[in-house]
Amino acid sequence: MSTETAPDITTSPSGSIRERLYRYTLFACASASILVTLGIVFVLVTGAIEFFGMYDPVAFFTGTEWNIARQQLGVLPALTGTLLVTILSALVALPIGLAAAVYLSEYASERARSVLKPALEILAGIPTVVYGYFALVYVTPFLAALGLPVGTFNVLSASLMVGIMIIPMVSSLSEDAMSAVPDSLRQAGYGMGATKFEVSTGIVIPAAVSGIFSSFILALSRAIGETMIVAVAMGQSPQLLQFGQPLANLFESNQTMTAAMIQLVNAENASGVIYQSMFAIGLTLFVITFVMNLASNRIAAHYREEYE
Amino acid sequence: MATDEPSWYGEDSQVSQVRGRLFEAVCLTATSVGLVSVLVLLLYVARDAFRPFTGDPSWALTLPTFPVLGSITLVIPGWQLVFFVTLLLPITLLAVYYYRVDSPAGEVAYITTGLPIVGLLLAGSLFVIFAELFAVKAWFASVLSLAAAGAVIYGHRRLRSEAPLERLVLTVVVPIVFVLGVPPVSVARLVGLPKRVVSLQELILKLPYLPLPSLQLLSTLTLPVAAVAGWFVGQRRDSRTDGIRAAALVVAGGALGLLVEAVTGVAAPTWVIIYTVTAVPVAVYVEGIYRRNEGVSGLAFPVVLVGGTLFGVLTMRVLGFSGPASWLDWAYLTSAPNTTPELAGIYPALVGSVMILIVIIALTFPIGVGAALYLEEYAPSSGLAGKFVTLIEINIANLAGVPSVVYGLLGLGLFINRAHLPGGSVVVGGLTIGLLILPIIIISAQEAIDAVPDSLRQASYGMGATRWQTTRNVVLPEALPGIMTGTILGLGRAIGETAPLLLVGVAASVRLAPAGFFGKTGAMPRQIFAWAFEPKADFRYGVLAAGVVTLIAVLLVMNATAIIVRNKYQRDA
Repeated sequence: MSTETAPDITTSPSGSIRERLYRYTLFACASASILVTLGIVFVLVTGAIEFFGMYDPVAFFTGTEWNIARQQLGVLPALTGTLLVTILSALVALPIGLAAAVYLSEYASERARSVLKPALEILAGIPTVVYGYFALVYVTPFLAALGLPVGTFNVLSASLMVGIMIIPMVSSLSEDAMSAVPDSLRQAGYGMGATKFEVSTGIVIPAAVSGIFSSFILALSRAIGETMIVAVAMGQSPQLLQFGQPLANLFESNQTMTAAMIQLVNAENASGVIYQSMFAIGLTLFVITFVMNLASNRIAAHYREEYE
Repeated sequence: MATDEPSWYGEDSQVSQVRGRLFEAVCLTATSVGLVSVLVLLLYVARDAFRPFTGDPSWALTLPTFPVLGSITLVIPGWQLVFFVTLLLPITLLAVYYYRVDSPAGEVAYITTGLPIVGLLLAGSLFVIFAELFAVKAWFASVLSLAAAGAVIYGHRRLRSEAPLERLVLTVVVPIVFVLGVPPVSVARLVGLPKRVVSLQELILKLPYLPLPSLQLLSTLTLPVAAVAGWFVGQRRDSRTDGIRAAALVVAGGALGLLVEAVTGVAAPTWVIIYTVTAVPVAVYVEGIYRRNEGVSGLAFPVVLVGGTLFGVLTMRVLGFSGPASWLDWAYLTSAPNTTPELAGIYPALVGSVMILIVIIALTFPIGVGAALYLEEYAPSSGLAGKFVTLIEINIANLAGVPSVVYGLLGLGLFINRAHLPGGSVVVGGLTIGLLILPIIIISAQEAIDAVPDSLRQASYGMGATRWQTTRNVVLPEALPGIMTGTILGLGRAIGETAPLLLVGVAASVRLAPAGFFGKTGAMPRQIFAWAFEPKADFRYGVLAAGVVTLIAVLLVMNATAIIVRNKYQRDA
């Protein structure tokens, strides 16, 4: 910020000890965030190492059965469960979020945007346990009334709610990217006789594609890490995807990695291996989401450079 | 476009227009589909929580039914008709009037309605704190000893103004000595020290005679608030006498509480608390409205609201109508969880949430604002240190995306397994969620600080101020409303977080409010999660819905507060 404006004044002799003291205090506050990351990595890695000392890592990452009672701790069912929820919620959120971003950026009047954008943010502000409750108590019976063979706990209603929750991630960040597209590009399109539709889909979206992509990744990462919706509405029976009956996957109960952790911590006899497996799952989850967030931020930084 | 020119190159423009219209409609639908579905779900929750279609006498009204939603036979109970006439109709008319004719009054109406609600919520929190945490006399003694510490520091500043380091040490040490003693009680207990120097606060508590609780509150709660109000009014009117007069008026109003007790039987401390945090801010705001003479008609809104409600209740009493059998009522808010749905309440969880929030604020606000100040005002942009700062910024952005459940593991591994803090306690829950929202607070504070115009900084430096003086006297006051807005929104996120609480062992149903910050606690979202798995339908559809409505109501009030702060700030800027 103002580093170039007045860098030398701070070294003035009067009260320089105090100045330095404040600087160091504030610096310590800023460094605290690094400590948080280090703390997370430390806790997860030590916990996971302890777990892999007791349980074969190969069996953990390739095991196809998750059964606490029998100490079968394969992560694949939870991983595919997570994948399923992520894909389904992406099917809801990505098109809707993108279309909403186009509307906000290209069609909405200034007044409409100033109302709609914060309104969409509300969707991300509702506590996730409330979404889980919606899914369990209202959406599942609604789906059943539509004639779908859904169980009390099912993947579909949870995924729908996760999808609605992450819409604002997509719409807000994509809209930022589209608004950053210089107007000259749009004018050029109009000058060539293009319609608003053609400018939106043919010029603005391609020009903002890296920002849109970054918002997609961020939203998916949020869906992967989502816990309470799936813990409430999706049940606790991890199972691999049934490729024979693709639709059955949606209507039955399943379990994500996050929900597995909740189940583990609530389990009555969680001791030793089972307790420690929480950290191994947590580490897997952390690595996946961290890489995705990093990638998303990289891509977003890229588009910002492009037009600024 | 040019549709009526036949030989124009874009002859198919008719088609493309249809396509464009369709595209716009699809986009608009997409924007609203999430909002509409959540709105519908919220309406369902409200229906289950309040059961508005119960109450006697009632008239049945059958509407055409939708195949999916089940048949709809609207039962219109008498109380709905009464409140439609006394409350809904007048406030709707007023709202339309504000919207169409007098929009500044609309804002005044919004704030004068919102401010008392926020104030009442604050008063409720204070009640909870005084009832569960902190006896009124402990508060009284703490504030007095803090004031004494302040006086000592102020005196030092007057006598030895050229000793900044000495003062810095004093600023840290004196409050600890005065309020906590040496060493503090909890530390002494932890180490097992039998003897220690008693603090001023403990000395005050040992006095044989203390003033009445209402007087204690009057002197330690109303007086500071009166001072702030007086200063504020004095600043606004540019007149010291007016400020003093306003402060005196505030104190006099509080003192009236003693009379109120004698007349109505409402306990004087109750009156003093509610008066101080609700009536005083409203009065100061209304005074400003009258002085500016802008949107005065907006003041009618809260009057109509309260008057209509009272009149409605009175009418029902007279006609002998009964209200709805709502799950969410006063008993629900003030009783403990129970296995019988009709008796179940959310009080301990509510108290737990408030206490966790206090820990979160104490942790995140100083660190978050400090970090943001460093990154915006101090951070070097080049060299090795600059690289480190870039690392910090990337790190903060990434931390904001780490799943909440991972923070739960952090809390479990760090605070419980390694630091051996009691599992499921207020402090562990608060610290864990505090770490979770820290990046959010930092980022929003950075935005607020970034919005401070550079010219202000230049002016301050030009006057010979140092960087810290500029930061403290120019940047921080200017950015504070923005920081507050961001912090409140972050706290709104914090209050709904559930997964970290589950991992650090916050109990499902707690029958007693936590006994201090190291005691076992419940929390509202944790309680909701527990109720979701109760087999009884009354829990799933009634008690749970009431809990959700409570949680969302708290969230709404927090967001409304943030909006009020931001609007006020934007107008002043």
